Amino acid sequence: MTTPTHSYPGPAGGPGGGDPAGGPGGADPGAPDLLGPGQPRDMDEPPKGGSFLGYLLRKLGGALTSMILVVVLGFFAFRMLPGDPVLKIAKERPMSPAQIAELRSQYGLDKPVIVQFWDYLVGIFTGDLGESYVYRKPVSALIVDYLGPTLLLTATAAVIAIGLGLWLGQLSAWRRNSLFDKVASSTSLVFWSVPTFWLGLILLMIFGGTLQWLPTGGMITPGLDPWSFAGIIDVIKHLILPVITMVAVVYAQFLMVMRASLIEEMSEDYLTTARAKGLTEDEVRKKHAVPNALLPTVTVVFMHIGGLIAGAVTVEAVFSWPGLGKLTFEAISGPDLPLLQGTFVVFSAIIIVMNLAADIVYRFLDPRVRRA
Amino acid sequence: MSDKPTTAEANASAPNAGTTPNATTAEANASASNATTASARQTPVIDGAKLVRERRLNNAKKNWSLFRSDIPALVGAIVLVFFILIAIFAPLIAPASMLDVTKQLDVPRYAPPSFAHPLGTDDLGRELWIRILWGARVSILVGVAATVMSMVIGTVMGLAAGHFGGFFGAIVMRIIDFFIVLPSLLLAIVLSSVLERGVFTIVVAIGLTSWASTARIVRSQTLSVESRLYIERARILGAGHRHILFKHMLPAVMPLVLANTTLTVGSAIIAESTLSFLGLGDTSKESWGTILKNSMDISAATSGYWWYVLTPGIAILLVVLAFTMVGRAFEAIINPALRSR
Amino acid sequence: MTDLSFDKVSITYRSASARGDVVAVSDISLDLPTGATLGIAGESGSGKSTLIMSVLRLLPKSAQIDGQVRLGGNDIKDLSFGEIRAVRWAQASIVFQGALHSLNPVREVGGQIIEALEHHAKGTWTNPAKRRDRMFELLREVDLDPSKAVAYPHELSGGQKQRIMIAMALACEPDIIIADEPTTALDVIVQKQILQGLAKLVAERGISLLMISHDLAVLSAVCENLAIMRFGKLVEYGPSDRVCLDPAEDYTKQLAGAFPQIGDPESRMNPRTLKPAEVRRAEPFTKTSEVVLEAKNLNVSFDTRQGRERAVRNVNLALHKAEILAVVGQSGSGKTTLARSLLGLQEVDPGSQMEFAGKALPRKAKALRTFRRQVQMILQDPSGSLNPKRSVYEAVVEGLRVQKITDDEYARVVGALEAAELTPAADYLESIPQELSGGQRQRVVIAGALALDPQVLIADEPVASLDASVRGEILSLFLALKKNLGMSALIITHDLGLAWNIADTVAVMKKGEIVEYGDVDTVLANPQHAYTQELLAAVPRLGSQSLVRNE
Repeated sequence: MTTPTHSYPGPAGGPGGGDPAGGPGGADPGAPDLLGPGQPRDMDEPPKGGSFLGYLLRKLGGALTSMILVVVLGFFAFRMLPGDPVLKIAKERPMSPAQIAELRSQYGLDKPVIVQFWDYLVGIFTGDLGESYVYRKPVSALIVDYLGPTLLLTATAAVIAIGLGLWLGQLSAWRRNSLFDKVASSTSLVFWSVPTFWLGLILLMIFGGTLQWLPTGGMITPGLDPWSFAGIIDVIKHLILPVITMVAVVYAQFLMVMRASLIEEMSEDYLTTARAKGLTEDEVRKKHAVPNALLPTVTVVFMHIGGLIAGAVTVEAVFSWPGLGKLTFEAISGPDLPLLQGTFVVFSAIIIVMNLAADIVYRFLDPRVRRA
Repeated sequence: MSDKPTTAEANASAPNAGTTPNATTAEANASASNATTASARQTPVIDGAKLVRERRLNNAKKNWSLFRSDIPALVGAIVLVFFILIAIFAPLIAPASMLDVTKQLDVPRYAPPSFAHPLGTDDLGRELWIRILWGARVSILVGVAATVMSMVIGTVMGLAAGHFGGFFGAIVMRIIDFFIVLPSLLLAIVLSSVLERGVFTIVVAIGLTSWASTARIVRSQTLSVESRLYIERARILGAGHRHILFKHMLPAVMPLVLANTTLTVGSAIIAESTLSFLGLGDTSKESWGTILKNSMDISAATSGYWWYVLTPGIAILLVVLAFTMVGRAFEAIINPALRSR
Repeated sequence: MTDLSFDKVSITYRSASARGDVVAVSDISLDLPTGATLGIAGESGSGKSTLIMSVLRLLPKSAQIDGQVRLGGNDIKDLSFGEIRAVRWAQASIVFQGALHSLNPVREVGGQIIEALEHHAKGTWTNPAKRRDRMFELLREVDLDPSKAVAYPHELSGGQKQRIMIAMALACEPDIIIADEPTTALDVIVQKQILQGLAKLVAERGISLLMISHDLAVLSAVCENLAIMRFGKLVEYGPSDRVCLDPAEDYTKQLAGAFPQIGDPESRMNPRTLKPAEVRRAEPFTKTSEVVLEAKNLNVSFDTRQGRERAVRNVNLALHKAEILAVVGQSGSGKTTLARSLLGLQEVDPGSQMEFAGKALPRKAKALRTFRRQVQMILQDPSGSLNPKRSVYEAVVEGLRVQKITDDEYARVVGALEAAELTPAADYLESIPQELSGGQRQRVVIAGALALDPQVLIADEPVASLDASVRGEILSLFLALKKNLGMSALIITHDLGLAWNIADTVAVMKKGEIVEYGDVDTVLANPQHAYTQELLAAVPRLGSQSLVRNE
């Protein structure tokens, strides 16, 4: 987790920790020589940036490296670190020697490490992530079943948190030190200082327990068809509390970052130029300050996508939301190491893909050549 | 040499003087000795060491008055002192035997807060206030220890990525990127579920996975210092990596790291409670996360035992908020540009 | 048409902090009748920027204006916010420093020009097509290709950005143009083009021009009248020829004296300053024929996106003992790369030969360290060259400690500071850089180099970031170091006047090549290469609106 107060990048920051984000205008291939005939080329004119393809390849390469690291980490963390994963399981639940031997061969632990690693790699590429100890089902099948609800929950929360955070943040910055700013800033500090799961428990206690306005867990009342009108309403009802929990903790960070970067922008010279041209204050803010302040903010928002998705683990545990997070929670309590390994790899893959998408979107938002 | 700055002064001025307390004192001594021995044979006598000491003292005074004018930070500092004191003196205030379930048979279970039971009791008849007291020990200890670990890794990685270019720098940058993209919670879950349960595991799990944002900040500061002319000047004078890293870079990033430390302790405490809540903590030790985990296990939230859920969370909120407030004040002292915010 | 007049204007920044109110401008009265050109000169902190920003009421709320700023007869204080918005750009527009951040970095520059037209349609540019046409017309007027309309600021050079700023200022046909340091940070040749272009456009349209700058020569090259400001007060005012060539006030004399007149024998080997450095030797060192540092066939290439680019091409240079050699060129000419190569800080192409005292430059880290005792470099910006957290003593001693010279450290430090004329040295030892002035900081940097007893000093633009009045002091110090210690110096500069002031020889660089190389007296008096001639012609001369008239 990063703190909201200082993690905004400087104006030279790029996405993903400030990679050289390639050059501008590369999206239009074969841009004509912009100089008219007979006009001498200005030698000081900065060179044109690299192509979009180069940028894309670089980012793809980065994502691929991260993915390889995840896969390798997945193997070493779950097969190597625990010593003998079967003994680890055996320690937590009573098992006969025969059961232990069976598990051993099931995990392939009787083979040499390098063979195990190869089997593991082949398994990942063929979608075989092993069998869950608790569910007695293939891990990949479980993950497919639980993926949808997680995506629904995190996507809804992300959209609301980003919208709310950025909008409140720019209002706060523009009306710096007003009552609105003080209330907005201090509320977000409080939300930021609260563990996600605890906020969930409190909401559950008030709206699910005491007031009984909303359901306390699950995604849909059993027996309802999720695609019927009543079913959709029911799902939305179940969605409200988990989404509020996730949004409350995350929007605060976005608010602080947006506020800080807009304040940074507010002393820039080009705003004086805009004012001198006769623009109203609202125009100065909307047309000049906010578009510039958005860029550093967007990079921070992208950096927090992972944190938001990981927040699903505790929120789903609290609200029994049938997603990957709840699956992870159950794998921990098992302990069900194959399942945990599977959810870790899939969670990481989702996050890496989202980041890659974010990097590509960013390329279209910022025309500048950015070098960190 | 009786007039060398005391360590306390050096400490107090460290955030602004921009050196680690040790380095500050050491350097002050070095230059002070030169100046004083030399000024003895020089006329007129200019007491350089005194000038330095006065400047440090003035800095400390200025910083203290800045800090003091920040009411939330002052309140935060008081809250912190309170919690640290109760954590230290927990065994004196309420001996461990008061939490022994076998000795609490006459205490009612699930008693709501009252005069007899100030914060109520839990499902085993233990007083919640005593559990909170003892929980403070583990929660704050884990928070601080994990933060120290995270800061050390983050500073080293950030300095390495910012200072060294080429292949090595690129590799370090790639590793930092990986840890920025992947949320620390996910990695910490993996680590703590495969290692032996225990407080140490939690510290390692949090410390090993939460350093990336520090590394990022340190790296960008290092890059900005790296582009300063005085680094180029040091190279021209013939300085190597060690001189530049220890004499220029580290002092320049240290204030930032110190402020960041205060802010990160808060995050680490939240991370500890989250891991404990997920059942990855040390069940034999009280921590605020463990208390919440227990309350979740008996569905306290939906069963009306509100005090069981509320009190540990409020303790976390207070301590984290206090660390945040103090950290923000440190930040504002270091970076005057933030003060107007 | 609109007149602008300042009538007893005082501007105070009110502040709740302990420093209290700050008077930025006090009691200024100036007139700018229709079609006139007025320059305001002053060093940083003189209040000149505050004064001109008051014209369009662009000062922060904490600024309080006393007296009257009248625009077309109206006191701008009496205008409503709507009225002042209508005045902005339509009656008076501002040319900001385009090289800095005055253009929105994420919008196309054409759109930023059109934005001004949208707000002041004036019944002329009533629809988008007309505005577009007008924008292209403006770009042509400032000699920019219309295709630049879709460029973002970062895709343009400093000169091009400045042209965009001028096009933007002309957009709504204003009566007054206010130019705020329009050529700072630009090279002399680009500076000349911009100033000529601006002056011509203003003259053709009968627009009044109010220009501020720290550079007296730039102002006098364009403006009819000059005002000199210092500490918020008006020091001197009059026709620019009179103010520059026959100043009445001491301060003006000092400012004017800082700009050497190339060819003027009085300033040859004699930088004008009130505090000249002392020459202590009865027989000062003069240039010898003994070569200390030599580069033969030096080439340096960089890998860029466009492939390999040669920053330094086939350079041959020899620096003799007790010689001051000035390497002159515009930014991007490769002169800094050349200096770094001579220090072994820069990887050079195979085949390049660099020798110090007849031996090839070492390549190994350890040998290079020893070599650096002999050849030291002074960087451009003294404030940046000093770690703000380390005292003067620490800054000067750093080289000694790095080089592990441990004997008599204190004496060496004091000796170096005194050689750099920062006296009495003991008073400054424990000061931190923020407590020193720009000139004092540069002396500390020079002392840091001198502490190692080098034979050669390489200086990169040693006076470019200093106020005009300090420039002469530092230059005279270089001259004294040569005369007293027999030191050789290679000085990198964009300023031909510097070469005239102190150098024995001059090398003119263009695109990595030395195009002309020889004695200062010969080269500057009788330049052979077209580029040297162009550079010389672009140097603004004091008085007589030189750039406007000699076209």
